Amino acid sequence: MAEPPRGERAVPFRGHGFVLARRRFAAPLFFFGMIALWQVACDRGWISPLFLPSPYAVLLAFRELIEAGTLARHLGESLFRMGLGWLFGTIAGLFVGFLMGIFSLSRAIGQPVVSALFPIPKIALLPLLILWLGIGEASKVTTIVLGVFFPTAIATYSAIDNVPRNLIRMAQSFGLPWNAVLRKIVLPGALPGILAGFRISVSIALLLLTAAEMVGAEYGIGAFILTAGNLMLTDQLLAGVVMLSALGLGFGTLLARLERWLLRWR
Amino acid sequence: MELAAEGITHRYGGLTALDAVSLTVREGEILALIGPSGCGKSTLLGILGGILAPSEGRVLLRGEPPAGCLNPLTYIFQDFALLPWRTVAGNVALPLEHHRLARAEREALVANALARTGLSDFSDAYPKQLSGGMRQRVGIARALAVRPAILLMDEPLSALDAQTRDLLMEDFLALWLRERVTAVYVTHNLAEALRLADRVAVLSRRPGRLREIVTIPLPQDRRAGPEAAAEMARLHDRLWQLIRSEAEAAEREILAPGALHG
Amino acid sequence: MRRRVLLGSLPAAAAYSVLSPLALPRAARAQAATKTTVGLLRLASSAPVFIAQEKGYFREAGLDVELKIFTAAAQVPNAVVSGDAEFGVTGLTAGFYNLSGRGGPVIIAAQSRDEKGFQLSAIMATRAAYDAGLRSAADLRGKRIANTTAGSTFHYMIGRLAQAKNFPLSSVTLVNLQTLPNMASAFKGGQVDAMIVPATVARPIEAEGAGRIIGWVGDEAPWQLGALFTAPRMIAEKRPTVERFVRAYVRACGEYHAAFNQRDAAGNATKGPGYDALLGIVAKAMQQPPERVAGSLAYIDPQGRLDVGDVHNQVRLWQSLGLVAANVNPASTIDLGFVQGHFNLPR
Repeated sequence: MAEPPRGERAVPFRGHGFVLARRRFAAPLFFFGMIALWQVACDRGWISPLFLPSPYAVLLAFRELIEAGTLARHLGESLFRMGLGWLFGTIAGLFVGFLMGIFSLSRAIGQPVVSALFPIPKIALLPLLILWLGIGEASKVTTIVLGVFFPTAIATYSAIDNVPRNLIRMAQSFGLPWNAVLRKIVLPGALPGILAGFRISVSIALLLLTAAEMVGAEYGIGAFILTAGNLMLTDQLLAGVVMLSALGLGFGTLLARLERWLLRWR
Repeated sequence: MELAAEGITHRYGGLTALDAVSLTVREGEILALIGPSGCGKSTLLGILGGILAPSEGRVLLRGEPPAGCLNPLTYIFQDFALLPWRTVAGNVALPLEHHRLARAEREALVANALARTGLSDFSDAYPKQLSGGMRQRVGIARALAVRPAILLMDEPLSALDAQTRDLLMEDFLALWLRERVTAVYVTHNLAEALRLADRVAVLSRRPGRLREIVTIPLPQDRRAGPEAAAEMARLHDRLWQLIRSEAEAAEREILAPGALHG
Repeated sequence: MRRRVLLGSLPAAAAYSVLSPLALPRAARAQAATKTTVGLLRLASSAPVFIAQEKGYFREAGLDVELKIFTAAAQVPNAVVSGDAEFGVTGLTAGFYNLSGRGGPVIIAAQSRDEKGFQLSAIMATRAAYDAGLRSAADLRGKRIANTTAGSTFHYMIGRLAQAKNFPLSSVTLVNLQTLPNMASAFKGGQVDAMIVPATVARPIEAEGAGRIIGWVGDEAPWQLGALFTAPRMIAEKRPTVERFVRAYVRACGEYHAAFNQRDAAGNATKGPGYDALLGIVAKAMQQPPERVAGSLAYIDPQGRLDVGDVHNQVRLWQSLGLVAANVNPASTIDLGFVQGHFNLPR
């Protein structure tokens, strides 16, 4: 056996970490762990019920809602407002976003208008909306429409900006008519950006649900949360918040599915 | 069909990219356009095909396109310009869809183009599933599907690795020898020009001017043999002398904004 | 003025306290004072606290009081629960009683109340409703009435009027709009028939002609609007501090009442002793012009006495509506031991 040359040693491995691996069970485990810890903290009296109700108390509040038969009504009215508001806001946002993405004149006019109006807190407009549209569904849905419209318009024209110009030149070099370029190149090319915008606008619609239901709403998750907050019924408040989170998670999953299906070419 | 450029001048802002370029693309030939980077080759090609408007001068078409031609001036792009959301067959079908064709006729045209480029087995694949060489074959199939009168090829092989480039060049040459489609072939690669072209137009560096058009007298199918080696070497040297000083000068130039167009 | 300049910058102030022997007793006194905090809104009903602070009644009682200003009534009892403030003064809501019932704040003295002859909370009818016959509180039966939120002071006033005028509260439709501006908008737009709002909000709307004031809650159904409260652990652990705070607070209440709540023989408002000086103090604390503040001065009991019967009634009304947990005992939300002479005690 030959002696190993002097000073021979293994090269140390230095490429640790900074690689994200899939951890399927990490999130649910963390979630359950946190809830268990929270329950224990409440049971042991580490947390006063005055500050934070226990998960069990939140569960009881849920049961109360189900037994009273109002859960479906709260959910139904909120989903109706959100759905209608999101739909109208999205249609209008797509339309204006397309105009701004394609025509220089619309862009020149639209961009400063959108930039000026986007950051206005919609809640600040509530007294005006009440004056113009009353306190029925119109003002509630409009609050959500306004919230959804601007980010959709911005996402749409940015998505159109990001459609590779070479694809449009290619289509033109083959003599495709204007509307075919729009339909076959611009629209599908902008789809990823538009769908990413949908994720944001759905979150905003959920966020604005509470604001929309500030105005004369008897039922709805937002109205429920507001009332619980005003009455300092923290268990009901958290039950409402859990409902909103569940809706957010549900819509997020749904959109991810839609994205995977529509963008399966990616 | 013939394509003639007359006194083409093009400026980007204050920068002259092309200066009074006149040339004619003859029926059935491959005309290579070579020159150092930034000499305006791609700009000239864009003007020839009518997707860029020249500052001065005009481009004329002479003669009638062949029967069944759907798009007389047809490009093949350096970056392939495939729609990622369409399959291979869908990409080839794209330029046919706005023409009045029976469904069966269109499908036949697509199938034919795919067969001629060896893509029949890949018709349902998406571009992301294909290698670079295969993607450019799709680009060529799409161009062939419209039965072009003149192919305008913008460095079609320069995005590919060396082996793929050689393979595809041989395939393209075989295709061309069968079909003899008139073509303008922009390249900065001398070997490609020498292998494919009937005539080589040499452009000077910016502002791009036509320095000389060199005719390659040997037919394409006889250039690879040993008996042609001496003649090809002589032509190579000649072309190299023409572009060498230009390339050296271009190399040392600081790019001004707006000068990045090929 | 010279001292002000000297104290203007921190290093100068430090030098002053080190070098000047005159500063020493002052500093020593400040150290001896018990530090405490009170949460409140910048409203005229908080006036006794502003007065006690500005005129040094807290200091004389050995307290160094920090005023924590909040922007919504619901935040004040929350601050007392969280310990951000040791005392709180604000209006009483269902939310307050829910907190109180779970070991939260306990009422120790009165703040403002709606009292006969004092125009604090206005009952307003829109023009259309007025023309259609809504002329008095009794006509509110079956009407659409704007409200801020379930369990608010406005909600209670409607309930209180229903009790006083013998109509079922369930006959009115409450429209919850969260904020006074929203209520005003809905009112002007004819979305509701009526609303109950503070006089300061009601008068400009009446002047615009959008509606009419058809009565005052104080005349129809007097009630205990607000209170001074503290956390149970304050009463258990720092009783002397609570006693001293209440003493100084009640002293200011008396002065407030003497100046602002006077009526002449004909029953018209008249300026009491020290009116202008006190108005100046309150206006400065509220950061509002004195003229505007003068119109919003509520009735405050001169001895900080509570309408205990009404507090009990509030809890019971909320419980009957399911807005306060049934196990909340009204008596346990009040500690009667800090002020003498609370009235209307339930038997």
